[in-house]
Amino acid sequence: MQINAVPRPPGFVHALVHADDPAELVSQVVPPATAAVRDTGARLVVAVSEPVEQALRDELAGTGARIERLTTLTRSARESGQTVAAWRSRELRALASPGKPVLVIAEHDPELDGVDGGFWTELEAALNISLNGLPVTQLCAYPRLPLHGAVGDAALANHPVRLRGEELVANPAHRPPAEVLARWPFAPPHLLGPPDLRLRYNTFELSRVRDAVERAARTCAFDPVRGEDMVQAVNEVATNAVEHGSVEAGLSIWTSPGELVCEVQDAGGDSTAGGGPALPLIGLAPPHPSQPRGRGTWIARQLCDSLHVWRGREGTHVRLLARS
Amino acid sequence: MIKLAGDLSSGDHVCAIPDSAEHLGEIAAGFVAHGLLRGERVLYFDDDGAADALLRRLAEDGVEIDGPLRRGQLDIQPEEVTRQTFRTALPDVHAGVSAQLAHSLAQGWAGTRLTGQMHSAMAPGAAGTLPEYDGLLARLVRENQDSLTALCTYDPGHFPDEQIDIMRALHRDHLALTGAYDDGLLRIVRLGVGYARLAGEIDHSNRPKITNLLHQQLDAVLRSADAPADIGLDMASVRFVDVASAVAFVHAAEGFPASHRLVLHRVRPRVQRILDRCGAAFSAQLAFDDDPPPVDPPPPAR
Repeated sequence: MQINAVPRPPGFVHALVHADDPAELVSQVVPPATAAVRDTGARLVVAVSEPVEQALRDELAGTGARIERLTTLTRSARESGQTVAAWRSRELRALASPGKPVLVIAEHDPELDGVDGGFWTELEAALNISLNGLPVTQLCAYPRLPLHGAVGDAALANHPVRLRGEELVANPAHRPPAEVLARWPFAPPHLLGPPDLRLRYNTFELSRVRDAVERAARTCAFDPVRGEDMVQAVNEVATNAVEHGSVEAGLSIWTSPGELVCEVQDAGGDSTAGGGPALPLIGLAPPHPSQPRGRGTWIARQLCDSLHVWRGREGTHVRLLARS
Repeated sequence: MIKLAGDLSSGDHVCAIPDSAEHLGEIAAGFVAHGLLRGERVLYFDDDGAADALLRRLAEDGVEIDGPLRRGQLDIQPEEVTRQTFRTALPDVHAGVSAQLAHSLAQGWAGTRLTGQMHSAMAPGAAGTLPEYDGLLARLVRENQDSLTALCTYDPGHFPDEQIDIMRALHRDHLALTGAYDDGLLRIVRLGVGYARLAGEIDHSNRPKITNLLHQQLDAVLRSADAPADIGLDMASVRFVDVASAVAFVHAAEGFPASHRLVLHRVRPRVQRILDRCGAAFSAQLAFDDDPPPVDPPPPAR
């Protein structure tokens, strides 16, 4: 008897493509895209500028491929590469679910560079975790000399393969996500000013956290289900803080009409000691169903518009944002 | 004397010290439901959201409340009335309550039940002390042996410990309380072999109690010759479950022998959503039922 006779579908393939202008980008990705549609019936999905998208549609018109767009990023998502990676995972998981491979063509957008280009470092590192195992090939186009040197260096380190001609070849400069983020740490998000509410809690006071978020959701005029989802999301993050972080943790809440921001801070260390993914890239991939723990942050990411984790000098911060 | 909630009748004046807000809701709802069943009019004195908690628990217990509220059988005195009552001179309170008792009989009700959240008796400006008000109630019960039943509750959330001790000592009759786990956030009452009712919130602080409960219930069922094959948990009053606890339910069910199932009864939509996200729908040995467990639940306050 032959064991494992059925070949496993290839998992996530994350490839770097160097292209300095739209024409070069299109000429580089069209051959592998044509081959993917012809040989595997792959779905084509793009996250590129409008001119590039139009050029791709023109070039690929003869292949019969239908080109779909990934969801446009909202303002809050643009500030958190890890949130975008979690979204992309959900979107591509749904597209790939019938067993059909997906080919994603993505493009670096300098408008999202921010002050240091950290968005791209974080996004690409997080994609290596959130899309792991999915039958997805993503071709990421970057200029050879981007404005921020770190964008190019980190892109080289984040992609396990590179597109050379029509072939994907191994990239010896590739590094695992934890190593990449240690070398190119991204800046903390912008400060929000004094919170509307600040409280300290311990393991036995999580109900105070839930009560505070529930009241805040009512202040923000959230509908009941939206409010309950945010309570659940904050509870999961707050639980992690006192279970894995420090004995006592803090919750800060900012409310405004239609928008609720909650931030949990603890003084704990990195969770990598337990063999889990490195902070801040936690909760990006669904844990195995038999795993008793580790699902909280993954579900929390699905229940709010943005969940951003970062390490500060004084501990770990998690900022959750939801809009009505 | 210890009295059973299901045996209370006119002339009874009992005291109960609940362990938690959930317990208070359980006791008050049981007392009110029993009175409605007996055709008595229930006068409930509201304060600090107590009536909301009562109505919520009555609904979770499956007690029909719209009709009694509409007909005036369940008569909730608003918070302002309750507070004003305790600022009123005792003889006037006596006269007012007596008039209410006569009104109940005139309307054709079998009698009157009186309970509620009475902590404003300790507020500045109260016309008497808590023992004085209780003495007045005792007198009213004596004068209306055939038509008045009273339940006094003193919950630690609203009454200081020393006041509770005094009131406990002043009452001759006490309500029999169910043996239960109660940590102030979650209350577990066993209904029979393999069946329990949960009320409150399940989170990191009390999650081990749930896994212990499931193991104990399964053990009891496996050792019993005539116990049902299902372990049933009535979840009607569970308002929050965290992700790890939801996973614990799913994994516990999957660890049951193939002959047994875990059945969660009357799960609220909010809790159902999180169970679904944790794979409940794919667990063959975890089932859901919109009806209560197939046992006759004892009156909640027993």
